[in-house]
Amino acid sequence: MSELIVRGARKAYGATVALSRGDLHLKPGEVHVLIGSNGSGKSTLCKIVAGSVKPDAGEVLLDGKPVTIDGPRAARALGIGIFYQELSLAARRTVAENILLPAMPVKGGIFVDRTELEERTARIIAEFQDVAGEGFAADVTVDRLRADQRQLVEIMKALASEAPILIFDEPTSALDRAQVDRFFEILSRLKQEGRAMVFISHRMDEIFSIGDRVTVIRDGATVASSTIAETNADEVIRQMVGEREALSAESKPPVPATAGEPKLSVTNLNGAGFRDVSFTVGKGEILGFGGLHGQGQSSVLRAIFGALPHNAGTIEVGGKACAARTPAEAIRNGIAYVSGDRGRDGTLTGRPILENVTPIHFLRNRLHLARTGALATLADAPLKALKTKFQDIGQPVNSLSGGNQQKVVIARWLIDRPALLLLDDPTKGIDLAAKSDLFQLIRSLAAEGMGIVLYSSEDAELLANADRILVFNSGVVTRELQGDDRTRYNLYHAAYEAA
Amino acid sequence: MSNAATQTNTGGLGRLIRRYPFLPALIILVLLLALNGIFEPRSLSFRSMTGLISTYLALMMLAVAQTYVVFSGDIDLSAGSIVSLVNVSVIVLMQKWGGDGFAVIAACLAGALIGLACGLINGIVVAGLRLQAIVATFATSIFFTGLALTVLPVAGTPAPEAYWTTYGGRFFGIPFVFYAVAVVAILLAILMRMRLTTQMLAVGDDQQAAFQSGLPVTAIRIKGYVFCGLFAALAALCITGDTASGDPLVGGKMTLYSVAAVVLGGSALAGGFGTVTGSLIGALIIGLINALVFFVGTPSEWQNFVQGLAILLALMTGILVSRGARA
Repeated sequence: MSELIVRGARKAYGATVALSRGDLHLKPGEVHVLIGSNGSGKSTLCKIVAGSVKPDAGEVLLDGKPVTIDGPRAARALGIGIFYQELSLAARRTVAENILLPAMPVKGGIFVDRTELEERTARIIAEFQDVAGEGFAADVTVDRLRADQRQLVEIMKALASEAPILIFDEPTSALDRAQVDRFFEILSRLKQEGRAMVFISHRMDEIFSIGDRVTVIRDGATVASSTIAETNADEVIRQMVGEREALSAESKPPVPATAGEPKLSVTNLNGAGFRDVSFTVGKGEILGFGGLHGQGQSSVLRAIFGALPHNAGTIEVGGKACAARTPAEAIRNGIAYVSGDRGRDGTLTGRPILENVTPIHFLRNRLHLARTGALATLADAPLKALKTKFQDIGQPVNSLSGGNQQKVVIARWLIDRPALLLLDDPTKGIDLAAKSDLFQLIRSLAAEGMGIVLYSSEDAELLANADRILVFNSGVVTRELQGDDRTRYNLYHAAYEAA
Repeated sequence: MSNAATQTNTGGLGRLIRRYPFLPALIILVLLLALNGIFEPRSLSFRSMTGLISTYLALMMLAVAQTYVVFSGDIDLSAGSIVSLVNVSVIVLMQKWGGDGFAVIAACLAGALIGLACGLINGIVVAGLRLQAIVATFATSIFFTGLALTVLPVAGTPAPEAYWTTYGGRFFGIPFVFYAVAVVAILLAILMRMRLTTQMLAVGDDQQAAFQSGLPVTAIRIKGYVFCGLFAALAALCITGDTASGDPLVGGKMTLYSVAAVVLGGSALAGGFGTVTGSLIGALIIGLINALVFFVGTPSEWQNFVQGLAILLALMTGILVSRGARA
């Protein structure tokens, strides 16, 4: 049984203060929710406890005794296990090797004990086997897995540490509902065993279904801590955003669709992971894609954008046939694509914000010379419109929080307005305030007449923002929800029924 | 998300290559053997094979050495210089200690220790001081070559007869080099099962992830360089047996050949993926290409040109085979 207390933890990277005063009191047998907008310092606090970030100041008490955590190895020795938000997996190693990488079983002192490795990982994998999906096995390398499956591996890796203190930094952002349910069952069991757990999530329903206590962090400082019973979603959001208006995307009614000529019409599109997909998106319409994770929604969007091949069917943009074979072709035809997987599809990591905002402008206008001053002026307006927070347009994009990085990625599409905007789970891992800014923008773009397709893994976002929802199941559209049919019940029902 | 393309289409060949990443290299090797046989039927005889192996055993060892640093995403441009330094040290020591059987064994042990020490220096410079591997080992290569030149300024001192007759000799009718290959194979089979190998590959895959998983990243990288130094020393012992003399510049040209052998063997230069077996095959491919260039009767002024072209072709074939298996 371990009790962990963090007092006054502080961490600065140069002039940027990531965490100014982090306090946390973690008790045995509880799931302790840590919540705050992106860039508020949650992950930094977690990494300090896990030893992968060295604090500049502050103290950590374990069972009342002050401890110094020198590195991830020291943290494990003290009984602290962590799920890293950005995952800590070796892509070319197998699932089993990854799960036990921190403590590979050995025989004879130096050799990998394969039997032990297989037995121990088989036990852990068995707990998730029926929800892990196709292609998940102990001997598959991680680079063959889907995003949700990788997240499951990272969960298993944290569980395999059998540490009395477990930290889960956004473990559910890519999981579907069945996977989340299974994970929560395990958390409840660990709670009964007396383990102490930190849980970070941006999904309110998850927080209130699994949490015992909640600590709110705002701008790098712990601002409140209470039991779940004593608080509610509105209260938590108010504490998170502070003086700012507590915006909740879910409370806003969608702007009614202005019907008109179709911006996009797709007929009988077939490709890897989807088949016979047909739909149209009207002028100013927000079309939602719903359903469980990985049912073909992303693949359809990527196929339209030319990032994945399609083998049959037609795509028309603004009445003209547009079967883009590369993203560059799609972009020149007025298609924009924003993915939730910023690292893979969005940011040019390590490059300045300016360079991250302007590549589409360069491509569409076939520019070859960069005039920094003129470009900065061009980039300024969309960044402002999105309320992007940064100090200098020359600072590297990865010095921003996840939410602000995503705003930079979206801003690049706003210099030259596209006719069609494809949003592929754009709010993954983004805080509530940034989400609210994003959806405001998306609605105003729709009001200007842009056609928008929104795939979101969060049902609440879809219901609040989409004028029409297509539910995907195993690569086909199984249901279309319009008007008053757009209810949570209908959405769940269509997502779960067999195709 | 659901990227169906990476999920499905695991053809038979694709699965085989995932299991044995050196398969494309093996195919090229067989192809080259066949070509050699066509142009010079005698090249496939037992005697010629023995000759090939005793000439290229040093490169095979050096390819193994290079593989252990490449596993963790590093590179060692000083591997060839370590070969030179150990070669001249062993020659000079054997001569100094009298050249009998005992002197030979003692000098070989001393050579292995020198290789280890060089590897340790590289490891500390690259992983400990966090200098760029390419530039840092380039610098140590000059340093090691400099040492070799002070140990033996001019090439030519011969090895004692006991040494090269053993290397080139036969025991129970089987050439010594085959015993050497067998011992190395057993050694590599043991190393493959070590936890350290898995850890090196994990470090090469994603250094940050490995650190966050609690692996001692710096120590693992240093151990990689120590392994590299040790196998480079073994390579030096082989080359000493083959040339039977000391030469302070003998290994210089071998460095990049060893890197090429690693890549030909299917390992990723960025780290995290590869096999030692592949590197051994890669070294043999280079050896067979050199032999083939000779057997087809290339005029001497064209030999480098053809050799370079052939290595490029081999690289492309390897990539095409693995890509074809994946698609």
